[in-house]
Amino acid sequence: MATAEIRIQSPRMNGRRAAESRRPAVLRLLQAERSEEIFPLLLEEIIALGNPRALVVDVNLDSGEVTPAAALKWPRTQMEKFTTALWMQEHPLSSVFHAGRPEVLPKSSLHNRPLYIHPILYSNRNLCWEADRIRTGTCLAVQNFRRERRIRLEDQVCSTCDMRAYAAAVIVELPKTYTDQHVAELADLIDLANRYLSRLFKVEHYYNRMRDMEITIAQMGTVMQSMADPVILTDTQHRVIMQNKAAERFFRVPEEMTEGLVRAVEFNNLLFSAALSSMLVSGSDSHRDLTLVDAIEGEEMLFEAVSAPTFGHDGIQLGTVTVMRDVTDLRRADQELRLNYERLSDAEEVVRQDRDRLNLIIENVGDPIVVCDGKAKIVLVDPLAQKLFGDESDAVRDTIQFQNQTKLTAFIDAFTASFADRETAPLRLFNPTLRQEIEYDARSGKIFGERGQVAYTVTVLRDLTALRRVEQLKVERRMLEIEKFAATGRLAATIAHEVNNPMEAIKNAIYLLASAIPDTAAPVYNILKSETERVARIVRQMLGLYRNTEQVKPVNVNTIIEDTLLLLNRQLQRAKVELQTELRVLPDAVIAADQIRQVLSNLVINARDAMPEGGKLRIRSRHIPGSDEMHGWVRILIADTGSGIPREMIRSIFEPFVTTKGERGTGLGLWIVKGIIQNHAGKLSVKSTPGKGTTFKIDLPVVKL
Amino acid sequence: MSADRKYRVLVVDDEAAVLLTYRLILERQGYEVMACGTSVQAIAAMEKQKFDVVLCDYSLEEQHTGFEVISAARKLDAGVPAALLTGYATKETADEAASQGIGVMFKPIEIEEFLATTSNMLRRNNEPKQEGGEEDNRGPQNLH
Repeated sequence: MATAEIRIQSPRMNGRRAAESRRPAVLRLLQAERSEEIFPLLLEEIIALGNPRALVVDVNLDSGEVTPAAALKWPRTQMEKFTTALWMQEHPLSSVFHAGRPEVLPKSSLHNRPLYIHPILYSNRNLCWEADRIRTGTCLAVQNFRRERRIRLEDQVCSTCDMRAYAAAVIVELPKTYTDQHVAELADLIDLANRYLSRLFKVEHYYNRMRDMEITIAQMGTVMQSMADPVILTDTQHRVIMQNKAAERFFRVPEEMTEGLVRAVEFNNLLFSAALSSMLVSGSDSHRDLTLVDAIEGEEMLFEAVSAPTFGHDGIQLGTVTVMRDVTDLRRADQELRLNYERLSDAEEVVRQDRDRLNLIIENVGDPIVVCDGKAKIVLVDPLAQKLFGDESDAVRDTIQFQNQTKLTAFIDAFTASFADRETAPLRLFNPTLRQEIEYDARSGKIFGERGQVAYTVTVLRDLTALRRVEQLKVERRMLEIEKFAATGRLAATIAHEVNNPMEAIKNAIYLLASAIPDTAAPVYNILKSETERVARIVRQMLGLYRNTEQVKPVNVNTIIEDTLLLLNRQLQRAKVELQTELRVLPDAVIAADQIRQVLSNLVINARDAMPEGGKLRIRSRHIPGSDEMHGWVRILIADTGSGIPREMIRSIFEPFVTTKGERGTGLGLWIVKGIIQNHAGKLSVKSTPGKGTTFKIDLPVVKL
Repeated sequence: MSADRKYRVLVVDDEAAVLLTYRLILERQGYEVMACGTSVQAIAAMEKQKFDVVLCDYSLEEQHTGFEVISAARKLDAGVPAALLTGYATKETADEAASQGIGVMFKPIEIEEFLATTSNMLRRNNEPKQEGGEEDNRGPQNLH
């Protein structure tokens, strides 16, 4: 507050005062627009009332110091006496302040004339706006006004609005003669001035608070803007009230942006609004993950949004503050980590499965398997090999296993040192189960290390005796099949024999009757004759197979083919069947020539019958060498371009009484062919495409003698 | 087939119906036929007269075989042509027949084949004899 002297010396103030001197004091005081203008006006009014001089002392409520603040007509030299402190009890001013009441002080040490001392304190008849708004009665100004409860000067702070009160005292030198009336008028004037002062003080307080708040807001704004993370303040409708630059990047549509980015911003807003809503609904869980598009860079970023509601003094929610943390890198790292972990466990699973599968294979191979390291030391054995060599971890082995292992080690040592990648050699080992020495076929392979050295060797031991047993079994099975065929044949022969003799008689009788049949009976006689011939044919076919009368001898199959074709050539020509032969050089096969002739004859006749409109018949032969020099095959292919065999019949075509020729066929031809080929230990197969043709393949074994 | 001389055929089969038809067929062909149902009858017949050819079923009554009949015939006439008529022959049977020069005809026999084989056997047997002239004429015809 400015001192009174400055005011008095102000020409403007002097001029105004001269012009307005006639107005009542009340109105003159009202001219004060600022709190510091009150005291000069008041002092002028006090002097105007006829008081010689007046002084205002101000109390610093923080320090308790009392100092003159404004004076009118008071000599500066006398003012020092009014400088004191609240705690100086002996000072007349102190007691006045502590009493809180105006007092007339007669001639004293303080002043040589009577003084009127009027303490003033921030006070108001009505609640301040703050107290009014939050509906509380504890307003310091009102409390001071009502004097209901004395508040010590040290405690003059409003509990509602935090306003620190002011305290001062107006000291007036009374005229030589003064009345109570005069003092009362003076008191009223000072009280009135105080009320004006309080009002101005309150306005100024609010102004100051507003400025403080502006500063605070500016500071907060600076803090907010300086944050790298987006911060957004929204109202209860999720409308953005405030956001920092980092947030604008995502939620504000700046100029000069592509349509796509505008859409991205709109989408961001939508996402944010949805996240806010869900956070408000869930209440306690107030953070969400948001993927937003950076409107400037155009890249996706992942944020963790943390929201906190903001409440007013009345507890009503004003809005929400949301701070977003860029967790893109964090989440990416997290995802990467998780992905890597998953990959790792997947890989682990694959390896585990592979190992299990390998173990399963090894356990089911049925042959002992031994894996040795580069120094021929056993590192892995399967259960079968374990019986032979003992467990790889087993330090103590019995003598048999020890002996076996010594033999194996010698073999593996030699193999490891050799240049061969794989090797097969016989290895005699003692089999503890069979209690005898057995010859194994040891097949070894090398597994190379990174530097090309032999890391491991894998050895599979094949029990040749077991292998031989399998061979034996195969032979037995074949024998059984032949036996079965022979048994079927014998049965057929017996039946045929029983049928044969009556058949012979019937056939002969029909022959004998031929000349004795009247013309009228000829059709019936012909049926009798042809049907009987058919039965005779069937019987002959069946028995033909078992007239196993021929000696086997080495024959060139090509000559048999040529013989057969020579016999059938005319028939084929008549049926308009074009014959193509491709007969290569063949070794002799040990066969029954007549039977093979029958086979060829049957197949050629079948081919002819399959081509009623004519066609092409290809007969080829060639030598198929076997795995060794001793053995091999003679292959005969007979292919027609006929009607083919229906798919559903192809499996049964070699069974007896199955025919594609209807009435004309006996259904025995291919059955006989099969029987003959089987008797020769040969192989017979057929391929047929209905409408395209049929190919029979015959393989006859050749043994070099 | 000459009119003044008839070949004499011995046919043996234990099946009466078959035997009868063989006889009728051969007779129609102009042969003189002796038909026997058992090996015993056949051997008895051979002892009474000589035959130009013996056609004999393989399996006869009571385990008797055609071989017995044919060997009996050969004892009386070493060069007599003979054939076995059979529905089924094992390898051994066929081998034995081949080694003794006995023909084999498999039932059911095509009548043409039956007749052709029979006449072939007769002709072959008589050809060298024709060189000897008299013996040929004396043969079966004289016996009648």
